[in-house]
Amino acid sequence: MSEVHPLFHQPIADHSFSADRSLLAVSRDTKVELYKRSGSGFTLQDELAGHDKTVTSVDIAPNTKKIVTCSQDRNALVWEPSPTGWKPTLVLLRINRAATHVRWSPDETKFAVGSGARVIAVCYFEGENDWWVSKHIKKPLRSTVFSLAWHPNSVLLAAGSADAHARVFSSFIKGVDQRPEPTAWGERIPFNTVCGEYINSSGGWVHSVAFSPSGNALAFVAHDSSVTVVYPSAPEQPPHAVLSVTTQMLPFVTLCWTREDQLVAAGHDCHPVVFEGSMEGWRLAYSVDDPRKSASSGASHESSALNMFRQMDLKGKSSADDTNLKTIHQNSITILRPYEGRPGNITKFSSSGVDGRIVIFPVKG
Amino acid sequence: MATINYRLIDVDALDPESAFPAELLTPPCDPIPTSEIQSLATHCRQLLQRGDQEAALVAALENVPYGGDEHGKELHLGTVLEILCSIKAVEMSPLLGRLYASPSGTELLDVLTKYLYKGMARHNNSTSSTSTPGVSVHATGVSSASGAREYGVAPGRGDGGGMSVLLSWHEKIVEVAGTGAIVRVMTDRRTV
Repeated sequence: MSEVHPLFHQPIADHSFSADRSLLAVSRDTKVELYKRSGSGFTLQDELAGHDKTVTSVDIAPNTKKIVTCSQDRNALVWEPSPTGWKPTLVLLRINRAATHVRWSPDETKFAVGSGARVIAVCYFEGENDWWVSKHIKKPLRSTVFSLAWHPNSVLLAAGSADAHARVFSSFIKGVDQRPEPTAWGERIPFNTVCGEYINSSGGWVHSVAFSPSGNALAFVAHDSSVTVVYPSAPEQPPHAVLSVTTQMLPFVTLCWTREDQLVAAGHDCHPVVFEGSMEGWRLAYSVDDPRKSASSGASHESSALNMFRQMDLKGKSSADDTNLKTIHQNSITILRPYEGRPGNITKFSSSGVDGRIVIFPVKG
Repeated sequence: MATINYRLIDVDALDPESAFPAELLTPPCDPIPTSEIQSLATHCRQLLQRGDQEAALVAALENVPYGGDEHGKELHLGTVLEILCSIKAVEMSPLLGRLYASPSGTELLDVLTKYLYKGMARHNNSTSSTSTPGVSVHATGVSSASGAREYGVAPGRGDGGGMSVLLSWHEKIVEVAGTGAIVRVMTDRRTV
């Protein structure tokens, strides 16, 4: 069964769980709220207030437990736990547009920030000066970067952008990174090397990108309701396969891999969909929380006697109102994240939506 | 005091790196000469005369003149609308089902949806003689008697596709290909 947590009635742009899943960070307007697991629910524990415009993304590093946030105020903050509470450090991003997306690298020494300024700021800590500095990936980005995803080797970085491209860059920083093992994406890869560039055939915005658990495939979702999986062959060579699945649904805006042969995507249709496949081909396998199968409306979790009588009074009907969607999420899903299981075998994933809910779904519908 | 409205200054114009030509986003299409589109139209018409509407529709939808000029695109629109009007209402759904099940099925239906919308736009323009080209005066909510009558016009008005025919095709397509087909038409930069 899926766990539903209606937190508040504001959109959730991004959410992140700590490694032990006891702490949940949720962006809410200009703040980030920290919830602690208590029994079957979450209780508000702390609030990170440091941005003065909408917070667009938040990420908790699993091991160091540092939290990085970014916002439309063009800043990113790194929050460290201290005896007196969470201590923020401002990061010099040097961008002149909103920051849109932030993610820690798997080894947690770097993080990348996407922005509307057509740059990706790759940030790392400079011990000498005791601050976070950033290096920009600029070319050939032509528009706002919506999402970023790290390869397991912490050097390759995928970006999806409004110029209809999903790209794979090298974010190798001398002195911070070890030279990575050669992969199908590239062997010798200095900073800002473009290791792959894939256009969405109908020119739709690329909303989200993700590397497969092994890092040997890249998936992205675009505004033409499609999911595309790319299998690279060798550096500088055309890929083995670029497999696109177009669906009957509204566009997806987020995706997450669960296994090497399975991924979940969700978006404006308010319920997640599972895709399965391999280099031979991909297909839509099944829906999680399928609205056609659920009898009751998802809003029943919040229904009350008061609502029922209000319905009868205002609209003169006694049945549940039909303004609610039949899915658990009552509005678009913004972010999917793995929740339980190991990379390559995720059994549960979490989602956040514009309806202010966090839902934890089992992958098996 | 300065009277400049700073919010209206196009700051990107001052940045030489911000040039954003739309062609960069459009997947490349080879130019197609109008004569080729003309011969395709003849081919489709022959198929129609033989009574094979499905083959005619598939031929028209598989060879989309994305790279054609305005005249060529207009010509192909006429061909597609002619085929659509020749298919009976009862045959629409089974035909769309077969198209959708074929290997490039979604692609075909997306293209068909593009032509439906283009046909609707043209219908509006051709009925409003006073309007400027490309601007439709038949906005929703216009309740003039003449406007209402125009929508009921049956096929054979001369423009090759009555609105009612296009609307019923649209309804059938959404039943088969879902809202995805509409979203893709709105997204796609390859216009017909």
